[in-house]
Amino acid sequence: MPNEVAQILGNAVHLSSIGFAVVTADGVVNYANPAFCEIFLISFFETHVGCLLVEYPLIRFNSSISKLKLALNCPAPAFIQLHVDPDLMPLTLDIAALNDGARVMVAKRGQGSQIEFEPPNGPYYRDHLTGLGNRRFLDEILANWQPNSPNALSLAVIMIDIDRFKKVIDALGHCAGDTLLKLAARRIQSAIREQDTLVRVGGDVFVMLHTIGLQSIGTESVARRIVELMGRSFLIDGQQVNISASIGIAALNHGTDTITDLLRHAEFALYKAKESGQGNVRFFEPSLALQALVRYRFEIDLRRALVLKEFIIMYQPQVNLTDGSLQGFEALIRWQNPARGLLSPLDFIPLTEETGDIHAIGEWILHTACKEAMSWDGNFSVGVNVSPIQFESERIVDIVSNVLANTGLPPDRLELEITESVLIKDFDNALKQLWALKSLGVGIAMDDFGTGYSSLSYLNRFPFSKIKIDQSFVRGESSPKTRVLVQSIISLGATLDIITIAEGVETQEQYDQLAADGCKGAQGYLISAPIPTKAIGKFISDFRNKTT
Amino acid sequence: MNDQLYRLVYISRNEITGDDETVHCEIEKILSVSRKNNAIANISGALLFNAGCFAQVLEGLHDDLQNSFERIQCDSRHSNVIVLAFEKMAERRFPSWSMAYFGADSDASAKFGDIMQQSELDASLLKGNQIFDVLNEHLLDAEPSSV
Ligand SMILES: Cc1cc2nc3c(=O)[nH]c(=O)nc-3n(C[C@H](O)[C@H](O)[C@H](O)COP(=O)(O)O)c2cc1C
Repeated sequence: MPNEVAQILGNAVHLSSIGFAVVTADGVVNYANPAFCEIFLISFFETHVGCLLVEYPLIRFNSSISKLKLALNCPAPAFIQLHVDPDLMPLTLDIAALNDGARVMVAKRGQGSQIEFEPPNGPYYRDHLTGLGNRRFLDEILANWQPNSPNALSLAVIMIDIDRFKKVIDALGHCAGDTLLKLAARRIQSAIREQDTLVRVGGDVFVMLHTIGLQSIGTESVARRIVELMGRSFLIDGQQVNISASIGIAALNHGTDTITDLLRHAEFALYKAKESGQGNVRFFEPSLALQALVRYRFEIDLRRALVLKEFIIMYQPQVNLTDGSLQGFEALIRWQNPARGLLSPLDFIPLTEETGDIHAIGEWILHTACKEAMSWDGNFSVGVNVSPIQFESERIVDIVSNVLANTGLPPDRLELEITESVLIKDFDNALKQLWALKSLGVGIAMDDFGTGYSSLSYLNRFPFSKIKIDQSFVRGESSPKTRVLVQSIISLGATLDIITIAEGVETQEQYDQLAADGCKGAQGYLISAPIPTKAIGKFISDFRNKTT
Repeated sequence: MNDQLYRLVYISRNEITGDDETVHCEIEKILSVSRKNNAIANISGALLFNAGCFAQVLEGLHDDLQNSFERIQCDSRHSNVIVLAFEKMAERRFPSWSMAYFGADSDASAKFGDIMQQSELDASLLKGNQIFDVLNEHLLDAEPSSV
């Protein structure tokens, strides 16, 4: 550029009523024209000594510092608005990065939309779907947030999650899911104040930063308003869609001490809100953190247990009620943890089902039980419990056939015990896999019969090898009502040609009663408690000696 | 698909309080905004008002309805918005009205009142068609009023 032109331009800039400055990415002012100095209340002299823009009082309102820092750091052109004083026009800053890393800033007073916490333009800080800020933007804001005005003394995190979002996607498809997120974002945005920030942190989770001033904190009413708005019908893809949202809140000085804990605490609260149903709002309480910590430690220990070989299998004998002979064993997992002692499946299996660890653990049980059964003296059956979750992945059939191949156990000695919930979740898929398993030659037993829906149609739709009568009925068999129930299950089995076996048999009286009613098998403390694998050899030979 | 017309019918509870004058004034505002916005968005329809409730029929293209309804729903002048019907339709029934209006003293409104009473305000019993028919029938023999 000829010098002359540069000079003319320079003069024009200097005299312009539009604020103009060149700053570094760190916010050091290298040049500012008088208009800029006036807007920011910087003395012209200061601009010659490299003052730091973010230190100027004007910027220090309402978390503007973090926004400005963000905008300056953004390699793409950024556009931000600062609300400095409610009575004044907002300040609009256009920021562009030059090749050498310097930033050119143009400052104007005046219009524009009233959104205060607009994330800087460009994909880096933006969620492309909703146009809101993204997780990175949130992290930056949180990292830089300071209480800095009477309107912003404290900060609350409102974490919003759409209930059953997956259901919507399953029913209407991903496209509809995206539309829903966009519309939801707009609705939530309509409930927030200028000085608040809304971001989408991923999936169906939104986070709102709510500044708290001198007045009462009002966070909860904002949350309730959001829940209310989300409960209204959406029109998507020609359908009316009704959803709800749950909310967890954490606020500085209200149970949360540091900014770094805010998100985590809001998440705990959200988790609790969801636990108690849909459309709930929950505030974080320190006890939640403790609960979460306890659970977290448990989860960690549990995850390690497989590697540390802390799981063992105990076997509970099953006898034939008609002739008193030994039939087989049910494999029961125990967790032997040095600090926690011996834990039964009820204490930890539900958690592994939540975390997905059940897949690895389930496979281990199958393999170990089949391998150990091979070492027994006799063709006894081995019953292995399979969780409904294991049926969700399509691998269960492969896993079972591999285990049989690797251990050499004849398929007819293995019996998989499933509960009704396997069939309730996804009937067609479950049925398909059950048939595939059956064609491998393994038996399929219906476990805990009588406790769930006990829908007879299930028994009719699949040739189960066994019905296991739940122990609660066996224990209650002295009551006439329960006795009739047990009898009808037994005759049901006889009609459908399915063997019935009673669990939890504890007294000789129960044993005789069941035998008299025509039940085919029994398992329980009367016969034996579950025993470790190394005791099985002795149990089998003792049993033989006793009966012969 | 893109030129498919949809019809939306909803009822809601009136949240405008104050004397008749104030209420009229608010409704006048709603109508004038509606007429302006709807003309631009190519939406036609009718609004029925009866002291306690609104009923509205909106017809237009899918996305236009979605857009307007998002705005309308969040309006604090009414609450408990219940969608009675959202369905495809072959042609507009209110083609010449960006927002026809039936006030509290219209026949349509009286009929609407009857329907609401019959169903004892139980929205699940109400059919979008019923509301729609009332509006449609009365549109044929009466000019919608100004407020
Ligand atoms: C019962 C009721 C019906 C309404 N119907 C419409 C309508 O058909 N079209 C419309 O644009 N606004 C309608 N509004 C007004 C909107 O809620 C909103 O106030 C208006 O669209 C102006 O929005 P704006 O200020 O964001 O532009 C209605 C409001 C109420 C309470």
